[in-house]
Amino acid sequence: MAVAIALLMALATAGCGIGVGAEIGPVSLTVTRDYGSEPVAPAVRDGARESDTVMRVLDRNATIETRYGGGFVESIDGLSEAVRDGRRYDWFFYVNGVESPVGAADFTLHGGEAIWWDYRDWSAAPRVPAVVGAWPQPFASGYEGEEHPTWVECEGGGGACSTARDRLLSAGATIRDEGSAIPVLVGPWARLRHDPAAALLEGGPQESGVFAEFATSNRGWELVGLGEDGDSARRFDAATGLVAATRRYDGPPVWLVTGATAGAVRSAAALLDSADLRDHYAVATEGGEEVPLPLR
Amino acid sequence: MRSPFAYNPRSAPLQNASTGAAVAYLGSFAIVAFLYSSPLVLAAVAAGALLAGITAGAGRAAFAGLRMGLGLALLIVVVNALVVDRGETVLLRLGEAPLLGRVDVTAEAIAAGAVIGMRAAAVMVAFAVYSACVDPDRVLRALRPYAGRSALTAALISRLVPVAAADAARLREAGRLRGPAAEPLGRGALARRLLTGSLDRAVDVAATLELRGYGLGVRYEGDSRRTSRHDMRFILAGGALAAAAIAGRLLGADVFHAYPSLEIVAEPGTLVISATAVAAGLAPWRKGARGA
Repeated sequence: MAVAIALLMALATAGCGIGVGAEIGPVSLTVTRDYGSEPVAPAVRDGARESDTVMRVLDRNATIETRYGGGFVESIDGLSEAVRDGRRYDWFFYVNGVESPVGAADFTLHGGEAIWWDYRDWSAAPRVPAVVGAWPQPFASGYEGEEHPTWVECEGGGGACSTARDRLLSAGATIRDEGSAIPVLVGPWARLRHDPAAALLEGGPQESGVFAEFATSNRGWELVGLGEDGDSARRFDAATGLVAATRRYDGPPVWLVTGATAGAVRSAAALLDSADLRDHYAVATEGGEEVPLPLR
Repeated sequence: MRSPFAYNPRSAPLQNASTGAAVAYLGSFAIVAFLYSSPLVLAAVAAGALLAGITAGAGRAAFAGLRMGLGLALLIVVVNALVVDRGETVLLRLGEAPLLGRVDVTAEAIAAGAVIGMRAAAVMVAFAVYSACVDPDRVLRALRPYAGRSALTAALISRLVPVAAADAARLREAGRLRGPAAEPLGRGALARRLLTGSLDRAVDVAATLELRGYGLGVRYEGDSRRTSRHDMRFILAGGALAAAAIAGRLLGADVFHAYPSLEIVAEPGTLVISATAVAAGLAPWRKGARGA
């Protein structure tokens, strides 16, 4: 009898039990298409349970079809993977703004996550490793199931660095310099481009997942917005700032708050809030208005 | 005791049918089982194959196949439930396990495992009936024009393996007859004796084959004399079942999705194919015959 009770207690503490398990906290679910430009279903908040995965939350809140033994989402609310005009469209998901290294059915939730499904053309960028649209995530509760502190790396950003730090603190981030911290690089592009993660932007969306690049002109650096096809769509003026996220290998996501000039960096730092970043892959700011990237 | 799957020559339509007709007929059950995931169709295929075995006088083999198939199906259900944690309806959470990772037992994984198991069981019943009703020598003879060496090798194996098993039984019996005081006969010694005997026998078989001219490469003309008046019914039954299954598959009669949540729909087409599979099982029936 004592052995049976001990065994039951061991199983209970190991996360075993009958049914879906206890509630572990709310998660948010957003379903959009074309790089977040259009909602496919209303955003919802759902109470996650111990056994919940990204797939189970999606299945509860949308009509889905799957393939490969339930591991791959084929369609959500009737919008299916497709090839149109030689361009490939599929469903991708982000948890706390970070592309998952595992499938939705294998991604276990811990409560508090922001799940974002987006249907997009992935011909120009098969992999977009991190996005800014889940703000205040990943700073508030981390990524891939683990909490991480945030570190603001000021690369000549001046006042923009303190703006970024304040916005992050009020978003719930813990600012601490340690190896596993999520870096937020703040500064003009001429300084940031020497950072290995920021330098990914020079390889285009295929390498960085960011639909923007900096080009040189006789006035110095200029921010260039790219379209969904990865081609240059528009040159912004020198005062245009950029907030984007990328990731190098398996390292933490790296956020870039940058621009061609100090003024551009300041306007980029002012974008660090939920209203400006929500459901966007990256955002440029022009004349105080946010411009979602890629450009449409 | 004779294996229930051993060929049992009888004067019955399926046993008398030509090899091609019998293989096509029983193969059509396996084709449907592999084409469909609908539990209704798979159950109907198993029932049809079972009925074919009973009406052909091979009920013992068919039921033995069903028992083995159900055992295998149960194993598949258990393994699938433990290995696959996909599906919406979580029944049990078993925590983290080495190699398996997180183990959630879901209703969907159990259903998916049950479907794979039912498929295996249905195919095993059809194969058991084939094994008991179709003369293996005639199958090998039919294969000889297309793959002579393979047919010869298979024929030799089908003869020599039972001979080796009989040799082993005799040697064990002889060992026991030496009395309780004698040193027990070890497996190594028994295997050595069997190997020596089988090598001697292989030399004899090779010499016999050479004397009979097997090495001359004489073209074999095929076994044209074995046709039966029953052939047409088996070809028609098997053909109708396979054709209905393929047409139904193309028209979307197989609606079964295990993930992310269970979806089973029995469309009119599903019912027609299920009925066809059961009806096809009556093809070996002979008026006035008694099932075994």
